[in-house]
Amino acid sequence: MNRTRAQVLRMLALVPYLQGNDGIPVADVAREFGVPPRQIQEDLRLLMYTGVGEYAGELIDFDLGALEEDGVVHIRDAEFMTRPLRLSTSEGVALIVALRTLRASAGENELPIIDGALAKLESAVGDGGVEAPVDVHVGTADPAVQSTLQRAVTQGERVEIEYANASRDERTVRRIDPRRVFIENGQLYVEAWCLRAEDLRFFRLDRVLSARTTGERAEEHDGAPRDLSEGFFTPGDDTPSAILDLTPAAAWIQEYYEAQDLGTVTRPDGSVAQRVRLHGSDWTWLTRLALRHAGAVHVVEPVDLAARVAAEARAALDAYSG
Amino acid sequence: MNLIFALLVTRQFLSKEQIRQSIADYRESSQQAFERKFDRDKDELRELGIAIETGTNDKYFEDEPGYRIRRDVAELPDLDLTREEAAVLGLAAQVWEHSGLASESATALLKLKAAGIQVDTDVLRTAEPRLSANEPAFDTAWEAATRRIPVTFVYARPGGEQMQRHVQPWGIISWNGRWYLGGHDLDRGEPRLFRLSRVVGDVEHDGAPGSYEVPPEASLSDLARALYPPRPDRTAVLHVRAERAQSLRRQAASVAPVDGVTDRVELPYSSSRDTAGEIASYGTDVVVLEPEDLRARVVERLRAALEVTS
Repeated sequence: MNRTRAQVLRMLALVPYLQGNDGIPVADVAREFGVPPRQIQEDLRLLMYTGVGEYAGELIDFDLGALEEDGVVHIRDAEFMTRPLRLSTSEGVALIVALRTLRASAGENELPIIDGALAKLESAVGDGGVEAPVDVHVGTADPAVQSTLQRAVTQGERVEIEYANASRDERTVRRIDPRRVFIENGQLYVEAWCLRAEDLRFFRLDRVLSARTTGERAEEHDGAPRDLSEGFFTPGDDTPSAILDLTPAAAWIQEYYEAQDLGTVTRPDGSVAQRVRLHGSDWTWLTRLALRHAGAVHVVEPVDLAARVAAEARAALDAYSG
Repeated sequence: MNLIFALLVTRQFLSKEQIRQSIADYRESSQQAFERKFDRDKDELRELGIAIETGTNDKYFEDEPGYRIRRDVAELPDLDLTREEAAVLGLAAQVWEHSGLASESATALLKLKAAGIQVDTDVLRTAEPRLSANEPAFDTAWEAATRRIPVTFVYARPGGEQMQRHVQPWGIISWNGRWYLGGHDLDRGEPRLFRLSRVVGDVEHDGAPGSYEVPPEASLSDLARALYPPRPDRTAVLHVRAERAQSLRRQAASVAPVDGVTDRVELPYSSSRDTAGEIASYGTDVVVLEPEDLRARVVERLRAALEVTS
């Protein structure tokens, strides 16, 4: 949106807003509208040139004394517009899709509220309502786990969770102080201080097997929230990685795990494969990936990983040879 | 702004000349410049979502057409929101991490506040979802879906060839954090989903807005359901080492200890191929007892893993 369009929309909202909030300080208006106070001052100055005509009483006016001395706004002669404009289709669709996203991650208690807001919003958009052709699906979690964790966030409670770590295939019991529940890449997570790790950790809600409040209060812990703008997983120099050849059947792995493309190669058997470097959270995860897609994924480097995959496969086959 | 106000207060249709006389900037322009400014301003109002009605005051005379904005259409109706519903809308306005849609939600929220709705998001506790859209094709796909504009683009499946596709968009859908465009694929003659991150280059318009109808039975969710694994229709019996294979255990129908080190797990599943891969990935921790075809597939997968090093 260009600046003038944003400004026109803001000024059109200001006219009814200021009539409903007579005597409001400029600073408060600025905060509500999310712009600096100087911007509001400029909006007011421009509004004084507008109105239904050009004579006194037809142009919008402000109590300039109160504005200059006390920094508060009294609007006059604006009775011709006491209500804001209807939501445009694009505004409505943006909010409706956002509400559907909230709905997809909401606990049982919030569902009726969100549905109520959705129904009322849909009636207020454009002419005769709107059907937003946009849908959002979010991974689900055990509602009991989710509501326990969400309550813990607002009440400041300590929670004990049973957590299944997928990459290391471990089940652990941890006491955590939850900070927030959020959604990233379509999955629900809780960010919490983990007393076992003595650090901030993220836990995927669908891997929390159970959660119960301990009756203890959560404590304050240092530790800035991690910046997730680059995603959860930022490989460093120490991060395990492997060079893999992907056959066409496994080519999706490169896109899915954002593996580094090393070009196409011809395998010893004459087939063509895509060579990639893939980082994993640990060697167990990489081993399991190679086993899962055996035949479609070939480990090129490191040889230790290739040996580990083969040894695991050999040991597993023993159970079937009897 | 003055055009909006002038058209909003009038009950009668205003003729072009009346409008020109009532607004200084128009009045002081040449006829030609006025026409240009008037057309530009009308377009701007339409872009803001304000409908200008044209008509005549007297249907028995062929008046020149007049203009007005109908107050009941232009104004935000009373939404009668509860405190919690207002809070939910406040949270919704924070969901988008996409500059265009974030500012659309922000102006929508301003209008609600201007209608006297108090938005206090502290009254609710809920998850904080974020919706981002980094795919370069997102904006055009969004516009095409909302305005029903046929599109064409180059699409590349991983490991496959790039192909020019022609699509009548029905909608877009976010699934597991990834955006898809769904619609009628004109090249294949059937409904398809296209992952936006696989679009190469620009999405281009391939027809006029509204030039096709979305079939009433069209369902993006049905299309998207094809992305989900189908419902389990079979059950495998496994021996699983105690405390291991956590992901399998979460899907299990039953888990019963056999002895101190092994559990008997009944696992509902649908795809033998995917399930065999999952089981093979646990190595020695999981052994398939039945059915036989799943057992055979796991063995086949493990043998393939042996050949990795040969």
